[in-house]
Amino acid sequence: MTRTARTGTVPDPVAGALAADRLGAPTVVYFVLSAAAPLTVVAGVVTTGYAVTGITGLPIAFLVVGAVLSVFAIGYVAMARHMANAGAFYTYVTRGLGRPAGIAAAWVALIAYNALQVGLYGALGAAAAPVLERWLGLAPAWWVISLVAWALVAVLGVMRVDVNGRLLAVLLTAEVAVILVFDLADLMNPAASGLSFAALSPSALFVPGVGALLVLATLGFVGFESSVVFSEESRAPRRTVPIATYASVAIVAVVYALSSWAMTVATGPDSIVATARRDQADTVFVLAEAHLGSVVVDIARVLFVTSVFAAMVSFHNTTARYFFALGRERVLPAVFGRTRARSGAPQAGSIAQSALGLVVIVVYAVLGLDPLVQLFFYGGSFGGFGVLLLVFVTSLAIIVFFAREPSGEALSRRVVAPVPAAIALAVMVWLALDNFATLLGVPEGDPLAWVLPVVYGVAALLGVVWALVLRSGQPAVYAAVGMGAKAATAQDTA
Amino acid sequence: MLADDFFLVSWDTTGTGKPRLHVQGIALGLAGALLGELVLHRRIVVRGVRLHMSDSRPVKESVADRALADLGNSPHHTDVRTWLAYLAQRSLEEVSGRLLTAGLLERESRRLLKRQKFRFFATDFSHAVWPATRLRLALGQCRPLSPQDMALATLVDACDLTDTVLDDPDNRRASRDYLTTLLATMPQPLRDLSRQVHAAVGDSVLTYRT
Repeated sequence: MTRTARTGTVPDPVAGALAADRLGAPTVVYFVLSAAAPLTVVAGVVTTGYAVTGITGLPIAFLVVGAVLSVFAIGYVAMARHMANAGAFYTYVTRGLGRPAGIAAAWVALIAYNALQVGLYGALGAAAAPVLERWLGLAPAWWVISLVAWALVAVLGVMRVDVNGRLLAVLLTAEVAVILVFDLADLMNPAASGLSFAALSPSALFVPGVGALLVLATLGFVGFESSVVFSEESRAPRRTVPIATYASVAIVAVVYALSSWAMTVATGPDSIVATARRDQADTVFVLAEAHLGSVVVDIARVLFVTSVFAAMVSFHNTTARYFFALGRERVLPAVFGRTRARSGAPQAGSIAQSALGLVVIVVYAVLGLDPLVQLFFYGGSFGGFGVLLLVFVTSLAIIVFFAREPSGEALSRRVVAPVPAAIALAVMVWLALDNFATLLGVPEGDPLAWVLPVVYGVAALLGVVWALVLRSGQPAVYAAVGMGAKAATAQDTA
Repeated sequence: MLADDFFLVSWDTTGTGKPRLHVQGIALGLAGALLGELVLHRRIVVRGVRLHMSDSRPVKESVADRALADLGNSPHHTDVRTWLAYLAQRSLEEVSGRLLTAGLLERESRRLLKRQKFRFFATDFSHAVWPATRLRLALGQCRPLSPQDMALATLVDACDLTDTVLDDPDNRRASRDYLTTLLATMPQPLRDLSRQVHAAVGDSVLTYRT
């Protein structure tokens, strides 16, 4: 603190007072990872991913995507330093590629984050059912559990009760600890075929459907982008934010690659798909039960429930804030930009997100669709693909921005890292589009495999059209696109 | 004083004794009001995102003079947002302290799970409800406002408290429209200041954490 509280040799009381409650890199890493909900990914996404796609290269995919995102992050955090409003992806796209592209990205982001949040309602049933049955002897339908959680999330949202940071840190630590214990048990008890590194071999990526793995791996990293939001609050933004970003990406890559690999070791790479299809979201717990005491597994099951719930709250708030930022810019109606006085919650955005969640839960329940695969997994895949699109477009924005305004950044941050990152991301997007049927586990040519990606295309197109409407009709609003809450300083308020 | 008025609008001192606005919003609104007092006293000038001191003579009120002294001691900080964040750290304590000293408030404190919570009750009912009533009447009847009340109205709006003041939903739309008109005619330093408060409150929503 004393380091940043001084300018030259004279103590600066203002900077000192403001630095007192600023964040260091470990705190930012915790904030970033807390939204990641590792047990949700390992027990939910990874196992369902094996079951639906039927391919086993997920462990190496986590490492590859981690590497690509690390290279992407070099330009990303560099550009963040030159943005007045370093917030969500669309602000970068606006700055680099212009306002129409920015609004298009904002629409895509709104859909993607909503899909990720709503998808979690499908996972909760699978996570909570074993716990409820064992301890309370209850076996409610999945949508009953989801509706209870939905009501809680909706109330917490408008009351602006975020899951407490410390509690989240404890849960996160416990989740990672349990995951590592499970991994150790899996690795020490390999299947009859022996300790196999097949799933970690790069050759595991050269299979049909690899694009599906890349989307699922990207899904595991969602949230890494939020580190830059804390730049104004961090102790030394130039160091804290990059360190926190790289650390978050590295931790996610290693933990998920290790865990998804350990599963294949325990079952044998040839049997993981069959096992995951049989045991579904229970896979990791069934595997662990064979070698660890039931106490550890029970704790893990409870943590799975809390993990899904924490992720729901976190994605709900992220989405509500997206609505809010766009409301403040007047890209969405102004009502989205107002807060609830008593709590300071972004009220309209929160309610809109909850309304969508309710509709989706009811529709799925009425149509009798599968909550785990068709809600959680499709929601996650669809949302994950949207985030992949956003990362790709942002990577282009970074290159264009630095080509126009070098801003005193080294060549390595302006060109050497961003260009390969953009190329790699372009390949990922292309593979994902090509393999969307595999991602969803539907036959080649199934309408769903092209309808879902087209949704983003339509949203982007409408975004561009809306931008042009604003440009001719409301130039002041158009001028403030991408400024988030700071839009208030550029246009007449009230 | 402007900050006293903002406090009385944002805190339910004649009923529950609890805040009407979330604590972060009150702190930022009061910080904006403290700067607003200095603008109204022609001690500082706000232009765009920056401010500078134009007159260092004390205004002979301890809270305002302390803020003025801090501004004078750190002239290299010219960012309005920096000063809002800095003053927000103590604005609630200082402004409520000013009202307590004047005998206009009474404080009740209670500990709730290690966190101290305050309730404030007005000693003089009509004095406590006057700022909000003044705004409600003026905005409802489209009457001109004094510069101080204009500043108050825009700060209240910047913190999303307008609907609390305009408690009759039928009149809200017309009153809001009038508020927009007012904002356009407001002296530029006060307008820029309230925009900065509005942006600071918005950013606090986007980076909220517990």
